[in-house]
Amino acid sequence: MSLRLLLKIQFAALMLLLFFSNAQALDLKIATIAPDGTTWMQEMRRGASEIVQRTEGRVVFKFYPGGTMGNDKNVLRKIRAGQLQGGAITGGGLAEVYPDNQIYNLPLIFRSYEEMDYVRSKMDTLITQGLEQRGFVSFGLAEGGFAYLMSSRPIRNVDDLKNEKIWMPEGDTISRSMYQALGVSPIPLPLTDVLTGLQTGLITTVGGSPTGAIALQWHTKLKYVTDVPVMYFYGILAVDRKAYLKMSPSDQAVVREVMQGVFDKLNRQIRQDNENARKVLRQQGVEFVQLAPKEMEKLHKAASEAIAQLGAQGVYTSDMFKTLQGHLEHYRKQPAKTPVQH
Amino acid sequence: MTRTLLLLPLLILLSGCASMLASSTGKLAGDLSSAVLNQDDLQTVQEGAPAYLLLLDGMLAGDPKNEQLLITAARLYGAYASIFVTEPDRARRLTEKARNYAVRAVCLNNETLCRSWQRPYDDFAAALATLKAADAPVLYAFAATWASWIQTHSDDWSALADLPKVEAAMRRVVALDESYDNGGAHLYLGVLNTLRPAALGGKPEEGQTHFRRAIELSQGRNLMAKVQYAEKYARLAFDRKLHDRLLQEVMAADAVQPGLTLINTLAKQQAQKLLASAKDYF
Repeated sequence: MSLRLLLKIQFAALMLLLFFSNAQALDLKIATIAPDGTTWMQEMRRGASEIVQRTEGRVVFKFYPGGTMGNDKNVLRKIRAGQLQGGAITGGGLAEVYPDNQIYNLPLIFRSYEEMDYVRSKMDTLITQGLEQRGFVSFGLAEGGFAYLMSSRPIRNVDDLKNEKIWMPEGDTISRSMYQALGVSPIPLPLTDVLTGLQTGLITTVGGSPTGAIALQWHTKLKYVTDVPVMYFYGILAVDRKAYLKMSPSDQAVVREVMQGVFDKLNRQIRQDNENARKVLRQQGVEFVQLAPKEMEKLHKAASEAIAQLGAQGVYTSDMFKTLQGHLEHYRKQPAKTPVQH
Repeated sequence: MTRTLLLLPLLILLSGCASMLASSTGKLAGDLSSAVLNQDDLQTVQEGAPAYLLLLDGMLAGDPKNEQLLITAARLYGAYASIFVTEPDRARRLTEKARNYAVRAVCLNNETLCRSWQRPYDDFAAALATLKAADAPVLYAFAATWASWIQTHSDDWSALADLPKVEAAMRRVVALDESYDNGGAHLYLGVLNTLRPAALGGKPEEGQTHFRRAIELSQGRNLMAKVQYAEKYARLAFDRKLHDRLLQEVMAADAVQPGLTLINTLAKQQAQKLLASAKDYF
């Protein structure tokens, strides 16, 4: 066979392959509130281009960043309608699909990152399995961090909260219960209006992570952080299982491997970012306020009440909560380690 | 939120340097600035600029308190680093130098601002309020080089935490003299307001107003304003029609404009890239 003919056949085969792969290409439209250019988007785009390459163009991710497809609720609706195949959203955003995935968001359940890491090492797979059974494939949880109360005046006692105008994310059942248990009435606002609310004095206290406070520029109006982790939050890439199953098993394996790598990296990166952001808040003149043990007791009491109430409302199942408590108790019984300050 | 959330785009620092130099020491610097700004070959500028930056260093060694020379040096170092330097460490060093020159100019000019720029936001905002119309050039150079500095330090949370100060400074420039540097402060405010989507408390519509004003103030001559408007606003709003229209206008326009030729040449280059990648983005 002449070389020319060989090349011709190879070329024809290549064309056929290209045609074939185009015909089979699966577009996964993924929406997120994260703006383009953020670590989230950069890492997901990097993962997506690796997937395109390794699946020879059969699996193509298309991203809609910056909230152009709406908030988590809108994204979920569009996934159900088949307009989107997935979303990179907060754990809470999937509560209507699988309530137990909010288990880490309950108020004041974790005292430190060490506890958190231990529980997550035991329970993350429960959450991803629960989601998968309900139609969403995910690739691991990426930490958002702990939220703290941040305020324009110091909160040294639980009673100080009564003089504050406290922001509550619109529709957030968990924070509403916590604030109610503390005897304060929060002001519900969408995230969109928080900075303006702080600037105009409509609100004086917010809950957020150190990185969030800087990225959203809240730090220009906040002078104090009450140094108690009140809530843990995370993000997740949830892909419609029906779309996912359209891929061949070997393509599914590629997507899973690459995206798990992405989420593992994000998870570690954001921990580091939050630690750096805490230092920066201090440099910017923000004071970190410690609460006396007596005040901590009051907070924990209110949190227990809120958690009980949320359980009664069916926000989580008691089985899931018991599992979490079991892990926490086991961890806390271990010989004491040197506490690490975060 | 993450560390590169507020990554700034290519920033425009070059234009407007030439006209401000009146002193005899500044005559040569002014003529050279004009030559740079009116150049339509990017490579010539890229290769020639370091010699000019050294010359400015030398002139400043002999005349360390020359405010206008400090401003020119600050803006050229900042522009050179933003536009041409891709090696991160080197870009960080050069923007640091640019900002140091700008800080020296600020400190010759206004003691309150000099003391407060590293202090908490409220102190800095109060110092800005003391500035007068004549301070617009030094404040603009300071804010623009600070923006470049942040751009090259965008993995540093303390840099990101200073972005609101840059925005406040640019707002003050607009209040003092909005037409300064062909409305450059509006262009920065356009970018700063479109860094975050509305869902995260950004103000894209306000950003759009600033972009439009920047285009208006330059009478459409500053093509970079249209490119930034397309890249920052139209992409964020997922408005492909606006995106493509702006960029096609840039492609059709003549780059040669007094004082804007270099920046326009660069703008056309960017417009082409953005048009090419639009299919993947939208």
